[in-house]
Amino acid sequence: MRDEENYGDLTRLFAAEDAALEAAPFTAGVMKGIRRQAMIRRLTVGAFGFAGAVIALLQLPELLSAFVGVDHTVTSALALARTEISQAAASNPMWLAIILGAALSMAAVSMTERT
Amino acid sequence: MRSDPDLAHAAAKGSEAAFAELVRRHQARVRGMARRLTGSEAQGDDIAQMTFLAAWQKIGSYAGGTFSAWICTICWREFLQWRRRQKIEIEFDETAEIIPFDRPFDRSANEAENRMDLARALDSLTEAQRVCVVLCVAAGLSHREAAEATGWPLGTVKSHVLRGVAQLRTCLASADVA
Repeated sequence: MRDEENYGDLTRLFAAEDAALEAAPFTAGVMKGIRRQAMIRRLTVGAFGFAGAVIALLQLPELLSAFVGVDHTVTSALALARTEISQAAASNPMWLAIILGAALSMAAVSMTERT
Repeated sequence: MRSDPDLAHAAAKGSEAAFAELVRRHQARVRGMARRLTGSEAQGDDIAQMTFLAAWQKIGSYAGGTFSAWICTICWREFLQWRRRQKIEIEFDETAEIIPFDRPFDRSANEAENRMDLARALDSLTEAQRVCVVLCVAAGLSHREAAEATGWPLGTVKSHVLRGVAQLRTCLASADVA
C-alpha cells in the first residue's frame, strides 16, 4: 500500500474545499494579466524597434561613406538628400506616410513576437 | 477531452484558449495550495495568479509528466519569493501586528465550520509539516514530487507528512468531539 493512500480521506476533504472556488473570475483575471503583459511587451519591442530603425536610417550616409569613400559624390548626394528630405518633411505629408509605413512594418514584426 | 500535455503543447505555440483551459482545470488546486501556505485568501490568490503568469512564460519548458506537479512547483517558488518579501517588510515595520487569516463569511455555517476546522488543524502543525501536508495531502503531489519541488530529502518529506497527518487527524477528531 502506497504511503499516499493512507490519507485519501483528508485529500478528499481538501479537494471538496477547493472545489467550492469559482473558476471563471480567477481564470478571466489570469488571462487579462497575460494579455496586458503581451501588450506591454509588444509596445516596448515596437518602440525600441522603431527608434532603432530611425537611428539606423540617420546613420546610413556615414555607413555608406565608409564603403564608397573613393567616390565622394555618392556620399555628398546622400547627405544632400537627407537635408532635402528633412526640408520636404516640413511641407510634404508624404514623409509622414513613409514614417507610418516604417512604424507599421515594425508593429507587424512585434505582433509576431512570441508573448 | 484534451490531455494536459496536449493543452500545454498548444499553449507553448501561443494558444491562449489552451492555456485558459489549463488554468480552469488547475486553479482550484493551486489557489487552495497558495491559500493554505500563506494562510490568507487574498494573498493566496495573488500568488496563484503570479504562478499562472509565470507558467505562461515558462510553458515551453514543460517537458511532459504530471502537469499538476509542474504547476505546484512553480507555486511553491512563488510562495518562497512572497515570503522573502514579507520578511523584509516585517523587518522594516517593527510595530507590525500579526495579521489574522482571512476567514469565509459567505458560506453556509456547516461548510464554514469545516473550513475553520481544517484551517485550525493546519495552523497546529509546524511549518515544515504544514508545507508537506499542503503539497502531498491537499495538492495531491506524490512524496517524490514534493521532494523535488521543495528540494528536501524524500525521507524528510515522508516523515513530515506522516507526523503532520497524525496531528491533523488528532486536531480534527478533537474538533468533532467539541
